Amino acid sequence: MKRFAVTLILLIPALALAQGDGGRRQSGPVPTGPAPRATNGHPDLTSYWRDDGNANPHGNLGKDYPGFKLPFTPAGEAAHKYNLEHTIDPESLCLPGGLPREDIGDMGFQLIQSGADTIFIYQYGTFRDVPTDGRKHAEDPDPTYFGEEIGTWDGDTLVIDSTAFKDSKTWADENADPHSDALHTVERWTRPDAGHLHLELTVEDPKFYKEPIHYQRTWIAATAQHTREQACSENNIDVSAGHLGFGPGPIRADGTRGYDNPDPLPPPPTKANPAKTILPANYH
Amino acid sequence: MKLRLAVFVAGASLLAAIPALAHHSFSAEFDGHKPVRLVGALTKVEWTNPHSYFYLDVKDDKGNVVNWGCEAGGPLALSRAGMKRGDLKIGDTIVVDGYLAKDGSHLIDARRVTLPDGRNVYGGSPGDGGPSDTSAAASKK
Repeated sequence: MKRFAVTLILLIPALALAQGDGGRRQSGPVPTGPAPRATNGHPDLTSYWRDDGNANPHGNLGKDYPGFKLPFTPAGEAAHKYNLEHTIDPESLCLPGGLPREDIGDMGFQLIQSGADTIFIYQYGTFRDVPTDGRKHAEDPDPTYFGEEIGTWDGDTLVIDSTAFKDSKTWADENADPHSDALHTVERWTRPDAGHLHLELTVEDPKFYKEPIHYQRTWIAATAQHTREQACSENNIDVSAGHLGFGPGPIRADGTRGYDNPDPLPPPPTKANPAKTILPANYH
Repeated sequence: MKLRLAVFVAGASLLAAIPALAHHSFSAEFDGHKPVRLVGALTKVEWTNPHSYFYLDVKDDKGNVVNWGCEAGGPLALSRAGMKRGDLKIGDTIVVDGYLAKDGSHLIDARRVTLPDGRNVYGGSPGDGGPSDTSAAASKK
């Protein structure tokens, strides 16, 4: 019996491998060697990129601040409080995560570099296409979730300068930290070797933050992965039936979303201990 | 008992290797201090995005039957966790362990699903920050 259990445990990842993409073991080998170059001579950033798990606490723009406390202005503090108490997670409403949230969230993404276009493809059909054709910012661009993005090359670094952002129905990160329409982001993307993609991000928002915020993280090439169809509005009853509350819920002491000490689930049922329905005390 | 637990742990550890797919925070919708176990007959399966749902007819302690919804990860997350759509057949009795929705509706977050063949499958959305979330993000804090 014990041998069977061990065999089964070993078999589960193998079965999953056979099922398709996903997973570190299913990501394919991490490529080695120097970063590939495109025909125009710039580094080619094309790949599926998965999180390296080291940008902790995950999803938190303030990860490098003491106590994860962002340098809010009074208006920023008020906007944060408003987000916590009065806004539903915009991504659960099937809106784009936008910037800087898509850089801070915990999911992977597909990056396709083609000529003067650098295209990021995220889950739930969200994408952005950054031009690197020499254009300048427009005089009065329409506000969007990713802003007006202008790409340029600084040596081997792809620099994306973005302005003109939405100021409502958007969170700056997973924890409902806010941004205003004064947001300005500068992303500096490098591929130091074939297997890694690095971001140095600067977030400026003088309405809501007293100083520029610097954020950095790294992704790992997942050559066997690709983005998959996930229709966000297919059956979004969390929103349509009103189940979802405001804000992200409790934030743990370590700066991530969730309960510090959730009550445990009952142990799995067995033949000796068959399952019976258990409801919370005083539940009707 | 040990075997089932080992299989569940193995499945959960497999999830440690997969990308997060969370659509919203667990704690924005569910109460981590209200664990629930539902045992009931499967009445409907919605194998959909952004979440899958299982609906069960569950008898309460007075014998009344209440239909409960169980929110799980989307099809991609569930298939990676080891559950296929064909594993669930209407009329089957399944066990779902999870947490009650904060709004008090007959909805729980399905963290663990025990199938008729005895397999325990992790049903949460990787990266949602909920109990037993073992996604890459949560496991490397």
